[in-house]
Amino acid sequence: MPVFGLIDGNSFYCSAERAFAPELRGIPLVVLSNNDGCAIARTAEAKALGIKMGEPWHLALRRPACKQVEWRSSNYPLYGDMSRRMYEVLAARVPQVEPYSIDEMFLDLTGLPDLENFCRRLRDDVRRLAKIPTCVGIGPTKTIAKLANRIAKDDFSLRGVCDLRDPATRANCYAQSPLSMVWGIGGKTAEKLNKLGITSIADFVRLAPEQVRELLTVTGARVQAELRGQSCIPLTLMPPPRQAIAVTRSFGRLITSWDELREAVAAFATRAAEKLRVDGLQAGHLSVFAHTNPHNGDAWYSASRAAQIEPTADTLALITEAVRLLRAVWRPNFRYFKAGIMLGDLAPAQQQSGLFNTRDAVKSARAMAALDAVNARFGSGTLRPAATGMIKTWAGRQARHSPRYTTSAEEMLVAQAF
Amino acid sequence: MNYNGGNTTGFASPAGDNLEGRIDLAAMLDLSRPSRYPVRVAGDALASRGIFAGDILIADAASPPAHGKVAVVMLNGTVLVGQLAYRQQQWWLASGTQGTAPVAVTGDDAEIWAVVTGLIRTQV
Repeated sequence: MPVFGLIDGNSFYCSAERAFAPELRGIPLVVLSNNDGCAIARTAEAKALGIKMGEPWHLALRRPACKQVEWRSSNYPLYGDMSRRMYEVLAARVPQVEPYSIDEMFLDLTGLPDLENFCRRLRDDVRRLAKIPTCVGIGPTKTIAKLANRIAKDDFSLRGVCDLRDPATRANCYAQSPLSMVWGIGGKTAEKLNKLGITSIADFVRLAPEQVRELLTVTGARVQAELRGQSCIPLTLMPPPRQAIAVTRSFGRLITSWDELREAVAAFATRAAEKLRVDGLQAGHLSVFAHTNPHNGDAWYSASRAAQIEPTADTLALITEAVRLLRAVWRPNFRYFKAGIMLGDLAPAQQQSGLFNTRDAVKSARAMAALDAVNARFGSGTLRPAATGMIKTWAGRQARHSPRYTTSAEEMLVAQAF
Repeated sequence: MNYNGGNTTGFASPAGDNLEGRIDLAAMLDLSRPSRYPVRVAGDALASRGIFAGDILIADAASPPAHGKVAVVMLNGTVLVGQLAYRQQQWWLASGTQGTAPVAVTGDDAEIWAVVTGLIRTQV
């Protein structure tokens, strides 16, 4: 029988900040989304003050209790590297690790003896080496392991590890837990089932599989089978191929001029093209959108344009196409709040020039390889198209960005000699 | 062209079959290990140990602390680097400055964060 584990970093972004900043330990701390908009990670101390996930920070600050809360802008270079460290510590100790998201990884624990102690040592090692405190859930399926992880997080008496392999323990837990705690059961689905009197996990597991299939299609039936201990979702060791690439941002301040909007969209196209090339892909479809702020009382304007393009991964070609579409999106006298571009029809990049192609694919691939090499060596953004603007006035607010401790030589951790 | 000592145009290079990669300091310092962190030194209090302001330390959280080793320590909300001492069944941070008393690395707000295993100085 397979055994799965799910290990998940506690308040991952906050823990990554605390790893290098001892002054942030033991106090309420939140990390804000891009543009310092909403709370996206909260320490236990911050949760205790009633700060909600996704809560707009400017609203939280109106509550007196939140004035004492420390906050940081999101520092993705740091979080990405700390996630990499967590993965590598695990990969050296567990036969197979699936990095499911930046802060949670599925483990193949099949056949390992004395699992509870093994998982405690695993937690200790991740904490000591990768500096991230974690919780571990264990179960015969991924869905049960995920549920066990959730319980380990909520119940401090378990000291970070919850094992739901034993059917009796599981039945007990199912009877006491709401269905909404289950991975794969969204809020709407839980609501629909609640109306039918199905509120606990036990209620759901008791249903006849045919009935579940009828109510929730094959996806719901799979969740039920997993909860019954029948493993249907194996470890995924390769990320699925990309269907689309999106680069979107809300702006640090509202944008009113064509030049600024054009620069922003050119920068998005540049980033999207980089993502394409990292995966060896080219895009055949491009869409561009921009809209005003729906919440600040401004007149609402939202528009998008899309087009098939000659397949490419060339930054300059994508900028040209994106700006062409943006011209149709643009209306003067609006204050733009957010814009973005989406690339679709992704396919492996080809260096062969087609009969009807207007661009030289080989020349373009060489130029882009050189561009990427310079940026890899000297830091991203060292060499960039002038169309993306010299001063990024539209860039998001990042008022309290912590140092990129592990990825920038100028920003490493500083220790005072004693 | 990208000449590497082997790919000559006229006479075949006698070194062609014996080329080796250049010395890779990042690989020597094993910086990609998940437990290794670069740390910059501030202050000259450890000059007696040969560690100066601006030096880059390779701190390894996987290296076990030992008496006499230099370590990065988080203590009372500050980040310090100093020499470890083990006395009276507990860890102390001994000062590199004469006359300064050692401090105990104890309490909730104390952690031996990583042991220093190497040092890089880019300007001598």
